[in-house]
Amino acid sequence: MHLREFFQEGDSMNWLKWFEIRGKSLFSIAFSLHRLTGVVLAFYLIMHLSYLTSLRFGQEVYESFIATTVTPTFLVFDILLVLAGVYHGVNGLRLILHEFGFAYEIRKPLLYFTYVVTLIVWLIASYQLYRYVMGV
Amino acid sequence: MEVIFRIKRFDGTRQYWGEYPVPAEKGMTVLEGLYFIKEKYDGSLAFRASCRMAICGSCAIKINGKPMLACETQILHLNTTKINIEPLDNFKVIKDLITEFEGFFSKHEAVKPYLIRKDDNYQEPVELVQTPEELYAYYDYTLCIKCGACYSVCPAAATREDYLGPAAMAAAYRFNTDSRDEGSAERFAVVCTDKGVWRCHFAAECSEVCPKGVEPAKAVQKLRFKSAIYALKRIFSGR
Repeated sequence: MHLREFFQEGDSMNWLKWFEIRGKSLFSIAFSLHRLTGVVLAFYLIMHLSYLTSLRFGQEVYESFIATTVTPTFLVFDILLVLAGVYHGVNGLRLILHEFGFAYEIRKPLLYFTYVVTLIVWLIASYQLYRYVMGV
Repeated sequence: MEVIFRIKRFDGTRQYWGEYPVPAEKGMTVLEGLYFIKEKYDGSLAFRASCRMAICGSCAIKINGKPMLACETQILHLNTTKINIEPLDNFKVIKDLITEFEGFFSKHEAVKPYLIRKDDNYQEPVELVQTPEELYAYYDYTLCIKCGACYSVCPAAATREDYLGPAAMAAAYRFNTDSRDEGSAERFAVVCTDKGVWRCHFAAECSEVCPKGVEPAKAVQKLRFKSAIYALKRIFSGR
């Protein structure tokens, strides 16, 4: 018997429930943040590839793009982007570990560890970025 | 102490919140509060309940945003004078706090949650001996009461109705881990799919809300690892 025959049609479910944090634990919040940062990184990837593609139209076009975004004004967005990237990466490693069936018993300390590592790496990376953009 | 029960009502067409004052006493459960409302204020209030001792799994509802069993949740333990009560998420609401469980049980049935033996002989049954270690390997997962709390918080189930869900896959893992069972291949055919273990994103909320401490998230991850081995074997054996 095909699996489909077992399933009943119900009300259509809503992806907005991913982001409902009321009554949820830190694990669900980690999941929602992983999704959100994934979407942010996907947008960034498209922008990044668009920038690189602009090289086809000449060095001047590429440099004019860079001159717009590698500025103190855009530094805040860059720092937030680094936060999204670091969180997505570190949390992704945690998920890979669990999805192989390992470390389930220490999932709570591991989740806190993920947040701590994310914070430390983000602060260091943001400082380096600040120094580069501001030229200090 | 008077506690306001704020209940999300649904009469088939209209959804609204109803507020009912309940005189809570020490030891009084949310389920008893619901019965009080039904008897004193509104006989049309619909909710499921049966055993009143956290065994049947009928009375799972959302209490202050978190799925709990109404029969084992004491009102005063919630430390609030206003309690929000809603039906479980990820289920179609039929009336008030009653949700459609047909699909949930169909998914449970799909993973064949029973012992499968090649030598079934009901005329001459044989005892299937098991060591304590073999029992402990799956015992925790036998405690599931199919209340649906895990399914209601699962983000994967929220966006895909045909996803098997944590309870069904915990049952699949329970029987696949049972030393007496010989039907794991049949279950892998069901769970090793995009509607099964590969749909789980390890939000792990299912384990957080399980009223019996079954840890379905753990079962799904273990089942995922075994499913990967099963899939690899199938690829290399050419079957």
